[in-house]
Amino acid sequence: MKKNIILFILLSTILLIGCSDKELKVPLEDVGMVSTMAFDYIDEDTMKMTVAIPQFSPEAKENTQTFSVSTDMVSKGIVEIEMHSDKKIVLNQLRVVLFNEEFAQHGEMEKIVRHFYRESSVGNKVLIAIVNDTGEQILKADYPDKPNINMYINDLLQPSINTAFNPNTNIHDFIYTQTSTVHDSIVPLLEKKDGTIKMEGIAIFKGHEMLQSLTADEALIIQALQGRKNLAPLSLELDGGKEKLMLDLITNKVNMKSNENMESPKLVINIKFEGTLVEYSGEKEDSLHKLEEITKLEEEINERTSKQIEEFLDKLKELEVDPVGLAEEFRRYYHGDWDKKKTNDIISKLEVDVQVETSIISTGNLK
Amino acid sequence: MSQKNLKVLNVYQVIFLVQNIMIGTGILSLPQRLSILGYSQILMPIYFGIIATITLWPMVWLCSQYKGDNLFRINEILLGKWIGKSINVLLVLQFTLFVAGIVSNYMNLIQSNALPEQTMTLPIILLLVLLTYIVNGGIKTIARFCTLSFFITIPMLYFLKWGIEKGEFSHIFPLFNFDMKEFGKALQEGYLSILGYELILFYFPYIVNQKKAFKHTLIGIWITIGICFITTLVSVMYYSEWQLRNIQFSVLHLFKAGELSFVERIDIMGITLWVFLILTTVAGYLWSAKKGLDSLRSKKNNYHVYYIVVAVFGIVMLPASREFQEKLFEASFYIEYIVVAWPIVLCLIHLVRKKQVQS
Repeated sequence: MKKNIILFILLSTILLIGCSDKELKVPLEDVGMVSTMAFDYIDEDTMKMTVAIPQFSPEAKENTQTFSVSTDMVSKGIVEIEMHSDKKIVLNQLRVVLFNEEFAQHGEMEKIVRHFYRESSVGNKVLIAIVNDTGEQILKADYPDKPNINMYINDLLQPSINTAFNPNTNIHDFIYTQTSTVHDSIVPLLEKKDGTIKMEGIAIFKGHEMLQSLTADEALIIQALQGRKNLAPLSLELDGGKEKLMLDLITNKVNMKSNENMESPKLVINIKFEGTLVEYSGEKEDSLHKLEEITKLEEEINERTSKQIEEFLDKLKELEVDPVGLAEEFRRYYHGDWDKKKTNDIISKLEVDVQVETSIISTGNLK
Repeated sequence: MSQKNLKVLNVYQVIFLVQNIMIGTGILSLPQRLSILGYSQILMPIYFGIIATITLWPMVWLCSQYKGDNLFRINEILLGKWIGKSINVLLVLQFTLFVAGIVSNYMNLIQSNALPEQTMTLPIILLLVLLTYIVNGGIKTIARFCTLSFFITIPMLYFLKWGIEKGEFSHIFPLFNFDMKEFGKALQEGYLSILGYELILFYFPYIVNQKKAFKHTLIGIWITIGICFITTLVSVMYYSEWQLRNIQFSVLHLFKAGELSFVERIDIMGITLWVFLILTTVAGYLWSAKKGLDSLRSKKNNYHVYYIVVAVFGIVMLPASREFQEKLFEASFYIEYIVVAWPIVLCLIHLVRKKQVQS
């Protein structure tokens, strides 16, 4: 009896399958997977949204499809783009989001990034960058020697050892620094120059708004202070430009100690670099095989870099921003609620003492 | 039934049964539930472990006084037939609601993260069918399934690696940055996440080595506490306080930080593996509810499981507003606290009525 019932149910299921609704899911070839997006500022309420979608059809002449619309909401813009496109637009493969400088300066970025952070189809590793032109122009321009813009920008923003200054900010990092009470955000800054895109430096934020741009050297200091192990090579000029050298950094150790005092905050920063001297030009060129000369050079480097770092920290103090998170050294000893105001307060009063210890462990094969 | 046939759970099965029933959907939102404490939430799981250890003691003591009986029987013995049975009715209702709450919670998670364009009816039916199958196998099958789930899901801890790499350890300081009111609120919200060990009141008669049951249960509890501790630690390191407060399933976001060359979205893997943890938790409660129905009707009947499963389906699919449903489930979670404290009351009654009951 029981077997008959099971058999009956199975049979009726098989026979009734033909009556089921047609599958609603869109087949893969009808899906347009957005790979790069750009947002340009128009006015307070509207923005220009540009999407780049890789084309996989071998017959297509262009391998990237781009659409631009003016909109006030991201999803509304996507729906509008769908009206132009023959495909269903999805964000599952989104890799890079670009914003133009004006957009960032008006403090609109956080709203858009937060939208992506909320959206479950978008991963957290989507990279963001600021362009000093318009995002639309960057996405629509021709790069004759590059297969397509999507891969180009994505690869450019991935960290490589020589551009390790690149803070490589993704959606999570940005939301983290925007909502953290001890950090200010930094985002890479791109510039289009004769058929290529160049990593120009980084943009620094105060609250939701972009404040100004910093150079690659300054970005390197931020990363060194944050304790990142793999740093870009350090190029230095000593003795007023008479000596020039390039140091490949192998390891970097940072130790910070605060005096835990909110009224007159003081911070001692100890940095230990270990590196290889790759290139040197200057008066010590022929005597670098002597250990005493190397030690002398190390001392000069220490003096120069600690001065450079102190100058940079003074600049941050003036701007009252804290991209490194120096205020964390005070927050960790503070009982009670910590807010952004306290961070600004600390940074504006902060006195720092930077001590750099460099050790050159190799100068190459020649004696 | 003879006592010999009843005892089926060996040491490992007790440990994993306790451990796996405790980890359900709770841990997914634990950092968010504790977020009123901000970064200072880090030690909370340890306090939970201590409370669990203290409340476990009366449970095991009570059970060891009535070695062959579960809580439903003990209620009847100690409180008399009528009062005992009425409390048992409430217990069965509570467990049914609790199961519905967990299933609904998990389905919401699947809906919002993995299948945003689909209705959930079919997945709910499939989950319940699988659940019925497991529960029909009895407590030993559930225990075996728990052991299996533990080894399938524990590698997920590896996914936290990237969170640790990117996180800042100094976030955990200062350690005690809260007042008692905030602490109380976090305790009330967060303790839900480690509920599940109280089910020992129902499967105690099935344990082979009852004398060491306390020790084995404790091992299970502290494995869970360890996992909760690691989760909160990594969350505290990786997130800002705003993120801790606002991200709904922060543990899945931790998985999103992962970078494997062959998988893009590790969090989706996490959600799907989580079904094992949901099944073990829900199976434990469903089995207990079934035992309750057995004792209420004073006979064993295989259909009792089906009655409860249909009721669970009905509650999950209830055409009421989402707000009402949420409140209902939230209430059922809080009532579970009473179940945890109930053995203490029973212990007192036992001490008072000892002679009467024994005679």
